[in-house]
Amino acid sequence: MNIEKLFAKAIEKGLADVQVFLNDTSHLSIEIFDGELNTYEISDVSSMTIKGLYKDKIGTYRTEVLDDTMIEEIVDKVLDNAKSIDSEDEAEIYPGDDHYEKLDDLFNRALPATDPKKKIDMVKKLDKLIHDENEKVSVAEAHYSETTRSVMLQNTKGLKLHNKVNSAMLFGEAIVKGDDDQRTSFDVLISNDLDDFDVETFASDIVEKGIEQLGSKPIPSGDYEIVYEPDAFATLIAAFKDVFSAEAVQKGYSLLKGKLGESIGSEHVTLVDDPFMKKSSRSRSFDDEGVATKFKKLIDNGNLNTYLHNLLTAKKDGVKSTGNGFGGSVAPVNLKLMPGDDDKDELVASVKNGLLVTSVQGAHAGANPVSGDFSLQATGFLLEDGKKVQPVALVTVAGNFVDMLKDVTRVANDLKTGYFGITNPSVKIKSMRVSGN
Amino acid sequence: MLMEKKLIEDILDAGLSSNADYAEVFVEDKTQESINLNGGSVEKATTNKVSGVGIRLAKGTQSVYGHTNSKKPDDLKNLALDLSKSFPGEAGVERQPLGELEVGKRHQAKISPKDVDKADKIALMKKAYEAAKSFDEVIQQVRVQTVDWVQDVLIANSDGRYVAETRTRVRMGIMAIASKDGVMQTGSETPGTGKGYEYFYDEVDVEELAKNAAKTAKTMLLAEECPSGEMPVIINNEFGGVIFHEACGHSLEATSVSKNASVFSGKLNTKVANDIVTAIDDGTIENAWGSANFDDEGNPQRKRVLIKDGKLVSYMIDKINGRRMDMEATGSSRRQSYKFAPTSRMSNTYIANGDSTFEEIIANTKYGLFAKKMGGGSVNPGNGDFNFAVSEGYMVRDGKIAEPVRGASLVGNGANILKKIDMIANNLDSARGMCGSVSGSIPADVGQPTIRVQSITVGGKKGADEE
Repeated sequence: MNIEKLFAKAIEKGLADVQVFLNDTSHLSIEIFDGELNTYEISDVSSMTIKGLYKDKIGTYRTEVLDDTMIEEIVDKVLDNAKSIDSEDEAEIYPGDDHYEKLDDLFNRALPATDPKKKIDMVKKLDKLIHDENEKVSVAEAHYSETTRSVMLQNTKGLKLHNKVNSAMLFGEAIVKGDDDQRTSFDVLISNDLDDFDVETFASDIVEKGIEQLGSKPIPSGDYEIVYEPDAFATLIAAFKDVFSAEAVQKGYSLLKGKLGESIGSEHVTLVDDPFMKKSSRSRSFDDEGVATKFKKLIDNGNLNTYLHNLLTAKKDGVKSTGNGFGGSVAPVNLKLMPGDDDKDELVASVKNGLLVTSVQGAHAGANPVSGDFSLQATGFLLEDGKKVQPVALVTVAGNFVDMLKDVTRVANDLKTGYFGITNPSVKIKSMRVSGN
Repeated sequence: MLMEKKLIEDILDAGLSSNADYAEVFVEDKTQESINLNGGSVEKATTNKVSGVGIRLAKGTQSVYGHTNSKKPDDLKNLALDLSKSFPGEAGVERQPLGELEVGKRHQAKISPKDVDKADKIALMKKAYEAAKSFDEVIQQVRVQTVDWVQDVLIANSDGRYVAETRTRVRMGIMAIASKDGVMQTGSETPGTGKGYEYFYDEVDVEELAKNAAKTAKTMLLAEECPSGEMPVIINNEFGGVIFHEACGHSLEATSVSKNASVFSGKLNTKVANDIVTAIDDGTIENAWGSANFDDEGNPQRKRVLIKDGKLVSYMIDKINGRRMDMEATGSSRRQSYKFAPTSRMSNTYIANGDSTFEEIIANTKYGLFAKKMGGGSVNPGNGDFNFAVSEGYMVRDGKIAEPVRGASLVGNGANILKKIDMIANNLDSARGMCGSVSGSIPADVGQPTIRVQSITVGGKKGADEE
């Protein structure tokens, strides 16, 4: 689409300012099943999101049809959408910041240039390793996916910005069969450098985790000390990340309303948003509104330091946007819970009567980001006097997100970036309610 | 007409130019509008146009998929040729000719979202807002969202299927937040339809639904924490059907069954549930949320009885997984958009009516939990372990509904729970859901009459009840 033409038509029809956000995504995915290539997918999709300002209100149109014949319809719809907005909020199109961080290592040329055969062979190897690792493995799943995303932002205030990233994800899953139960275990590796993928260790860890979980059963209901492994705790952070959004706070949907500067966690809790994290495909030097992104501590040794802002919420609170205007709302880039000094084993060894939680499930339904309450299905191990004594499944761990942050007694040094793109170590909680039998 | 017949034939031929034995083209054009109302004011209004083509080739159980938003003939033919290179060798199969385009005539909207002014949609939303906000002084905030879309699809394949249809969906989400002394609780209603706006004008009362949402929020604000432990659980009708959808439905999709990754693999024609349980997935219900004329492989949607009187009688099967299972496809293939290869998915899934009444079930329960409204949930298809949130719950004591309780979740295993359903009422009703899985997020209807499960683990913040 001819962007200058679009801008000219928009101004002619009465829009004060216009911004386009162009997103080109190409994708490759490979799935191996029983040693054979099961699915192979390639795609290339471009989309454009057009925002237009009319009397301080913004109307939005997103389209995958990008020819010039669309210009008239886009401008009319943007205008119609903007006119229907009757909130008091004063929106703006951003002229830009003086400085944008330079991010160099986000796009790895070698990744898309690598022969697909090599990638297929890697996934076949993973599939075979999972199958061969143990005779109890009944089903293996091995996938690879790779994405290259290039974004361009341009507006009538003279701002023009680019960003290009790529990343690859390797996914492995094993279903293991015991005498009378069946357990699944999976993990992901994420990087934009295939040399980072240690397929052997990855496969054996997945199978080992599944085998260990065989024979799982519920434990009696009660209060237990809890150690969350990184994946389990990341699931909780992901479920509650919206509580840091100033939009949620201003609208009364966040339990952190009125808590700025107050203690909301124990001294062990420091949570940051790091938009410059290396090898993360989420890393960005500017947000979807064109504001420069920033490194920031959300929680600093337990104290709530800042909310996350976009232009609109920042204006309302009389502060500067934190560069977190994503997807028409507010979102963090790369959340990271800072590690402590201890090994995970030391955390486990310090538990007298507790539960090591390896995974939690059902967060999209069992976690309420408005109240902070959650009650989630958990799997893991019963711990007695610092030792794993029994695999556990079909129990729930229940609590409140903020209460839990206050009860963090130790954080380990085993940082992991998992499925949700959140980076965190294992965490020990003083006590939580477990429901079992 | 989304695409010229000649171009479709060329794409299919390019796909079959080497050793693939199946080629399929999916063309989509969809316009979605969404409006967000917050605290009584419209805050966002967005239009989203999704448009593109998906091409799938297969040989045996192997498949390749490509998609693009380019509609240029050369780009599409080249994509098909690129994909065909995955199956090197001589062309193997003869393509069945495409006949007349078969256009789906059922499930049409009377008042298409395209013909409704934004101002009228907003007026409807404001009515819902006012009704919820004025329900009680504890209602601090109300959010209303409408999403509607019109999706035109054209599906053609090398078996000679050549079909098209228009799929319309309209949905409103109403969420009320009650707050007091720093505690917040929510209640929501999410009416939706495979019809057009006539549904909101003539069939449902959005003000009544908004009041229900507010009432749930208030009730939960004043409720006690739910006791935990194993107990009988009565799961109400409508969205209560999410239990079957999650705990059993997903495990009956060929996606997991064909790979022996489901607890129901190899269990066809065996007893998997109590005799009183009959469960159905029916993609043909007139204008229902999960209905369509055709599945996304171009075959007619069907009614599938999955479990009959406790016996497993059918899976939900797509073409490629059907090959692995050596079974016919059941018209169950679905996908969110051209960006996803289709696979076996649910449509409108429900447990059939039983012989009991709602009142009998309550009266026959000495102690347990009544899950009046369910939240969402998830399941591990590998072993059927599930997890559901209860968004409005009550204790049942001595055959009567007693105090409201909040924060409950239900944890169990799909295969076990089917055997533990011991009472089924005669009040079948359904509700709308969005179901996320490998082929994307699709509208899926869930339903059931009120049922009782002998025992489920109930998770909550409070310890076991003193009995």
